[in-house]
Amino acid sequence: MTLTLGIFLVILLITLAITYWAAKRTSTTADFYAADSRLTAAQNGFALAGDWCSAAAFLGFTGLTALYGMDGAFYALGPLVAFCTVLFLIAEPLRNTGKYTLGDVIRSRMQTRTSLLAAIAGTVVVNFAYLMPQMAGAGVLVRLLTGISYDWAVIFVGVSMIVYVAFGGMLATTWVQIVKAVLMLSAGAIILVMILSLVHFNPATLFADAEQKYSAKYLLPGNYLKNPFDQISLGLGYTFGLAGLPHVMTRFYTVPDARTARRSVVWVMFLAGAFFAGTTLFGLAAADFVGQDALRAADKGGNLTLPLLAQYLGGGKGSFGGDLMLGFVAAVAVATILAVVSALTLSTSGAIAHDFYVNWVKRGQVEGRQEVWLARITAVVIGVLAIALGILAQGVNVAVLVILAICVAASANFPVLILSLFWRRFNTGGVVGGMTVGLVSSVVLAMIGPAMRGADALWPLVNPTVVSLPLGFLGAIVGTLLWGRDAENEQRFDAFLLQVHTGVTPK
Amino acid sequence: MARNETSLEAAHASVKQLIAEKLKYLVPMTIIFMVGYIGLTVLAGFAPNAMGAKVIGSVNLGFVLIAFNYLLSWGLAIVYGRIAGSKFDPLAARAAMEISEAGKSR
Repeated sequence: MTLTLGIFLVILLITLAITYWAAKRTSTTADFYAADSRLTAAQNGFALAGDWCSAAAFLGFTGLTALYGMDGAFYALGPLVAFCTVLFLIAEPLRNTGKYTLGDVIRSRMQTRTSLLAAIAGTVVVNFAYLMPQMAGAGVLVRLLTGISYDWAVIFVGVSMIVYVAFGGMLATTWVQIVKAVLMLSAGAIILVMILSLVHFNPATLFADAEQKYSAKYLLPGNYLKNPFDQISLGLGYTFGLAGLPHVMTRFYTVPDARTARRSVVWVMFLAGAFFAGTTLFGLAAADFVGQDALRAADKGGNLTLPLLAQYLGGGKGSFGGDLMLGFVAAVAVATILAVVSALTLSTSGAIAHDFYVNWVKRGQVEGRQEVWLARITAVVIGVLAIALGILAQGVNVAVLVILAICVAASANFPVLILSLFWRRFNTGGVVGGMTVGLVSSVVLAMIGPAMRGADALWPLVNPTVVSLPLGFLGAIVGTLLWGRDAENEQRFDAFLLQVHTGVTPK
Repeated sequence: MARNETSLEAAHASVKQLIAEKLKYLVPMTIIFMVGYIGLTVLAGFAPNAMGAKVIGSVNLGFVLIAFNYLLSWGLAIVYGRIAGSKFDPLAARAAMEISEAGKSR
C-alpha cells in the first residue's frame, strides 16, 4: 500500500509540475482547447494512446481474457481496428474543418443554430455517459489500491482533473496523457518480457497451459458474449464508435495540419495496438500463473488481474519485487483514469462554453480573453458535477453507461459526422433526425436490455449498436429528405469540400 | 476578378481529382478491413466451434485470425500513410495553392 502510494505521489507531482508549466503557456482560446495546434505527430500519437486506453482497456481486457479466454482478445482487438475508420475517413477532414469541437465541424457545414444544438447534445451525452463510469471506476480502484474511502477517492480524482484542465487546458491534458502512455507502455513491456522469459520465449506455451488447465472451451469464443449479435454489436460499436467520441476526436485539432493528424494516427495504432495485443498474452499468463480462482477472489469482474499478475511476476505476495511491481501497475492504473477524465472534462467544456455559450447563445460575440475564462470556469463546474455523479454512482450498475457511451457515439455522432463530411444533400433536418433517432434508440435499447434489467430484459442484446447504428443512419437520411432540398446548403458544399480536403477556405 | 474565378475553378477541379483518387484507394481498403474484422465477429458469433480448429499447437483458428487482424490493421495504416503522402498530398497542395491564388487576386 505505502509503496503504491509512494509511486503514485511521484506521478502526481510530475503531472502537477506539467500543469504549472502548461498554465504559463495557456492564454488564448486556441491554447486552451487545442494546445495552439502545435503538437508533433509523435506527441499526438502518444497522447492519443493515453486518451484512448481507459482503465477498461488497461485493466479490463487483461481480466476478460484471463476469465473468459478468446472473448477478451476480441475486446482488445476492436479498439485498434477502430483507428482504420478514423485514419481513412475522419482524422484529416476533422483537422481541416474543425477548430476545437465536433460542433465546429457541423456548424461550418450546416451554418444553422439547430444543427449546432444537435451536435452539442451528442457531445454532452456521450461525454457524461463515458465520464460517470470512469469516476465510479476510479473510486473503486483507488479504494482497492490505497485503502482510502470511495468518496474521497472520487473527490481526489475529480480535483486533480479540475486542476489539470482549468489551469493547464489542452497542453496539460496532452502531457498528462503522454506521461501516462509512456508509463503504461513501459509497464506492458516489462510484464511482457517477464512472461516470455517464463515460457522460454514461446508464447504458444501460454495457450497450451491454458487449454490444459481450463479445457479447450476456454479458448473458444462465446464464454462472455453469449449472444452472437452481441459479438457483432461489439465490433460495430468499436469500428464506428471511436470516430464519434468527441474527447478523442479533439486530439486532431492539436496538430498543425492533416498530414500530421494522419501520422499521429499511425503512431497510436502501433503504440496502443501493441499494448492491446499484449493484454491477450497477459490475460492468458494470469490464468496460467495466478489462476482464475485467485483472480475472482480479488475482484469478481477480474479487474485486478493485471496488478496481481505483476505481483506474481515480481516475486509474489510479500516479496519486495512483487510489491514494487504491484505498486507500479496500480499507480499507472490511477494515472490512466486521470488522463481519460481530464480529456472528457476538457471536451465537455468545449461543448458547453465554446459551442453552446459562445456560438449559440452569444452568436460568437465573445472576446477571446473572456472566452478562456469561461472555458476554465466551465471545466471547474463540469468537474464538480462529475464528482457528485461519481459519488452518487457508488453501487449503481454503471456498466450500462459504458455501453451507452460507445453506442451513442456510433449510432448518433458518427452518422451525423460522416454524412456532414461526404453527402452533398445532407442538411439540418438530417443532423437532427440522425442525432435524435441514434440517441433515443441507443438509450432505450440499452435501458431495456440485460445490462440494466438482468434476467427481466425486454430485449436480448447487452449492446444494441447492431440495431441502433442502422437506425441512426436511417434517421439522418429520412430527416434530410423530410427537410426538403436546401439549395443554398448544397451549393455551399463545394466550398466545404475544398476545406475538407485541403484545409484552406476560399475567401 | 477573371483570374480569381479561374483559380477557384481550377481548385474545384483539383479537389474533384483528389476525391476520385482517394475513392480509388480508400474504398477497397475500407472493404478489406471491414470484411476482415466484422467477418471475424460474425464467425465468432455464429461458428464458434470452427474457431477452435487447432492451427499451431493449442493456438486455434480464432486466435490466428485475431493476430491476422492486428497485422492487417498495421499493414493498412502503413500503406495508407504511403499512398496519402505520394498521391493525395501533392494534389491537396495544388488545390490549396489555387485557392489562395483565388483569394489573393480579388
